[in-house]
Amino acid sequence: MDEDIGQSVVQLTINGESAAFTVPIRTSLSDALRDKVGLTGLKQGCEIGVCGSCTILVDDKPVRSCLMLAVQASGCRIETIEGLAGNGKLHPLQASFQRHHGLQCGFCTSGMVLTALALLRETPEPTREQAREAISGNLCRCTGYETIIDAIVDPDVMSDPEFANG
Amino acid sequence: MLSGRAAYIADLPFQDVLYVAILRSPYAHAKITGIDVTAAAGHAGVVKVWTGADVLPKCAGLMARMDLPGFVPTIQPILAHDIVRFVGEAVAVVVANSQAVAEDALELIDVDYDELPVVASIESAMAAEALANEAVPANLVYQGHRCQDDVDGDFASAAYVASGRFINNRVSASPLEPRGCVARYEWTNGQLTVWSATQMPSFLKTMLAIHLAFPEQRIEVITPQVGGGFGQKAHVHPEEALVCLLAIELGRPVRWIEDRRENLLSATHAKHQINDMAIAVDGNGRFLAMRNRSSTDGGAYNCLPWTHLVESHVGASTLTGPYRIAHFNDESLSLVTNKCPIGAYRGVGWSAGHIAREILIDRAARRLGLSPFEIRRRNLVDQNDYPFTTPTGLVIREGTFVQTLDRLEQMVSYPSFRERQASALASGKLLGLGLCIFNEVSGVGTRALSFLHIPVTTHDTATVRVEPTGKITVTTPLVAAGQGHLTTFAQVAADAFGVPLDDVTILAGTTRNTHGFGTVASRGAVFGAGTIGRAAEAVKVKIRRLAAHLLQTGVDQVTLSEGRVHLIGHPDKGMPLADLAGAAYFADATHPPDFDPALEATAAFDPADVVLANGGHAAIVEIDIETCMVRVEEMFAVEDCGRMINPMIVEGQIRGGVAQAIGMTLLEELVHDGEGQLVTTTLMDYLLPTSIDVPDIKIAHLETPSDLVPGGVKGMGESAMISAPAAILGAVNDALALVDASLEDFPASPQRIFDALERAAAKNAIPV
Repeated sequence: MDEDIGQSVVQLTINGESAAFTVPIRTSLSDALRDKVGLTGLKQGCEIGVCGSCTILVDDKPVRSCLMLAVQASGCRIETIEGLAGNGKLHPLQASFQRHHGLQCGFCTSGMVLTALALLRETPEPTREQAREAISGNLCRCTGYETIIDAIVDPDVMSDPEFANG
Repeated sequence: MLSGRAAYIADLPFQDVLYVAILRSPYAHAKITGIDVTAAAGHAGVVKVWTGADVLPKCAGLMARMDLPGFVPTIQPILAHDIVRFVGEAVAVVVANSQAVAEDALELIDVDYDELPVVASIESAMAAEALANEAVPANLVYQGHRCQDDVDGDFASAAYVASGRFINNRVSASPLEPRGCVARYEWTNGQLTVWSATQMPSFLKTMLAIHLAFPEQRIEVITPQVGGGFGQKAHVHPEEALVCLLAIELGRPVRWIEDRRENLLSATHAKHQINDMAIAVDGNGRFLAMRNRSSTDGGAYNCLPWTHLVESHVGASTLTGPYRIAHFNDESLSLVTNKCPIGAYRGVGWSAGHIAREILIDRAARRLGLSPFEIRRRNLVDQNDYPFTTPTGLVIREGTFVQTLDRLEQMVSYPSFRERQASALASGKLLGLGLCIFNEVSGVGTRALSFLHIPVTTHDTATVRVEPTGKITVTTPLVAAGQGHLTTFAQVAADAFGVPLDDVTILAGTTRNTHGFGTVASRGAVFGAGTIGRAAEAVKVKIRRLAAHLLQTGVDQVTLSEGRVHLIGHPDKGMPLADLAGAAYFADATHPPDFDPALEATAAFDPADVVLANGGHAAIVEIDIETCMVRVEEMFAVEDCGRMINPMIVEGQIRGGVAQAIGMTLLEELVHDGEGQLVTTTLMDYLLPTSIDVPDIKIAHLETPSDLVPGGVKGMGESAMISAPAAILGAVNDALALVDASLEDFPASPQRIFDALERAAAKNAIPV
């Protein structure tokens, strides 16, 4: 069983705090974060890197955590959706998703928000087309995308002083 | 949900949980001649391996039937025994200490199959040289008619007959969250708790009780956050019964979370119909008659509860739509094939027929030199016709069909579109415009199902309680999978008592609450408003009676608003709702004689008639002649769903439905080869629309309140998938018509567009 295949210790930074866990070497980063660390905010919709629901930020870049082995994340800086909201308050980008009805079932939302966060950090005033392009690798089956784009390009997101705290 | 804290089925933590992996058939039709599970059962970490023979004594399978003469019911085994009837059918199950180990052990199971003849298409099902399921003679589950008018005279006298054979291929609802279920059996008290990502928890509970012969009062079905359903999760799936049986057997929680491949292989498919349709039109563009023969490729078994009838049979009910078509002659056939069972998906059997009808209407318009708006205007039912009875017996008493058409015509700027289309053509681009006007049988209850010739009774209730401090607690059996129902319901209750939204809590998600049929078929808003509205009314009667007693006035002089109970027109003459509730609970001396102080009521609701919503869609598409790709340039929607409880949620339903319509018509196709093998088993082959494929959508609202539902609400969740597919494929055909091409086989993939252009080129090259 798993134990015979070989285990590895992974040390990394998750949402600003250092963490370590031991997993069978074949474990994907998405499985490790969900099952070992308890960060179930990332979702698994296809497990082959198409749907984007498991998107997290690895060293600031959006990454499909189902396509990465947990051991490959050693030494990396990881951000998940759980790191965004704090003290009972949504991050400005999350608040914008809520204001614009940029989610329905919520399954794609953590991947969408993190993909959008990476975009906004690089391109603080994206056009609709830039936002559309940025989320084109994240599938949503509910919203038709329009209100997600509305949420991303809303200037109130970047003008909120709390943005940088996310 | 935004914070990542909402718990979906795969996120729920369980102590001591066991993991399930299911072995699925690689053949579409084969005899199982032997299964050897020895190696898998002996694999370290494996707790149990079951085959069909192990399950059969515990459950014969899921029986799905409709009480209609001639209907042939089927039984879908929980695990196939003796024979497999579609690729993806469950054959064996492994239960292990981890998901990875369970999946490893699957590969150690050795199954011997003897292949049987495969029925892989509607045509071969009709030929019936082989049977897809030996329980179904001639492969025919049901053959029905809605109308058998004599239309020969109309067709003989018609100035033009538009006709075609429209092939709507298989798609999958593909919620982003696949199916999943966890069951736990507590032997000390005999309690079976089932967590399932389902749209129909109460129905699931009852079906588990019946199929597993388990006492229903000891089953609780809990619905966690659901990552989209769209109808696919509005069935009882064999895996749900399987997981319960394993939990009872093993006495530990058992968890099944399917992966995408399993979802595409074995979760109900949808929309697979062929429609042979013809419309007779006179010289003025008036429709005389319609003829249709619709066949459903229904798969190997009937789904529970909808059966094969969810496609062609249901589709026939509204095929003449909001048009005055005096004579209608139809036939619908539901055929078994060696494929995954067909089931409910947003818009159900209506999508395919609407596509055929609206494309034919456009064809007639082109032939007669009328605009697509004008030909529809000449045929739409308008208010002078109300009540208008359609050939299938649907009584249209209200609706804004002509207004919808007018609004769409303005929104697309029709004359300037035709100019743009002509100049685009000159520069080698094919632009097309399509539209569809529809009515939606919404808020589907017993009367609507009866109209659809689906003899099923629905039963929905809600409980409303005013707490001692005047706050409102509502329990509902309806669950949400992203439709925003809880917000909608809270608004209904807040409006009823005249209190702020924040004073209302909605309890949902467990069958310990009141009973209900499920969140399907555009029912949520209608049944939420209906049940909560009626229960609230019953509580308000008591509140008014107590208030009238205290204010020494008549019951009809008292009203509730702004958090107060007061004399009508005098908000100052009265008291806060909290004070009145306190009096009811704690101050017996304030009560009038024979006062029942329970500020709580449970009420059922089932609309007295079909709740008809209506609207329309228009699409503008561009076909790239080089790549044969279709791009949706613009989409327009007009929706009349009565009074809107929350416009943002209504528009969210429209946008999401339109995106699915774009997927269904241009991208998504479950492709089977001639042996019934599904070749699109990942999201790299089965293409869901991305943000690049879906344009921003222009939406307009009309409001014709329903007098059948408290608050005037109508359902609308399915509307975009009823009508937008027809608008998009109408637009594709409008663009193709520029080069004398047409397309009746969908989705409009680049290959099919290429073939259509080639056919037209070949036809035009030959002098007539």
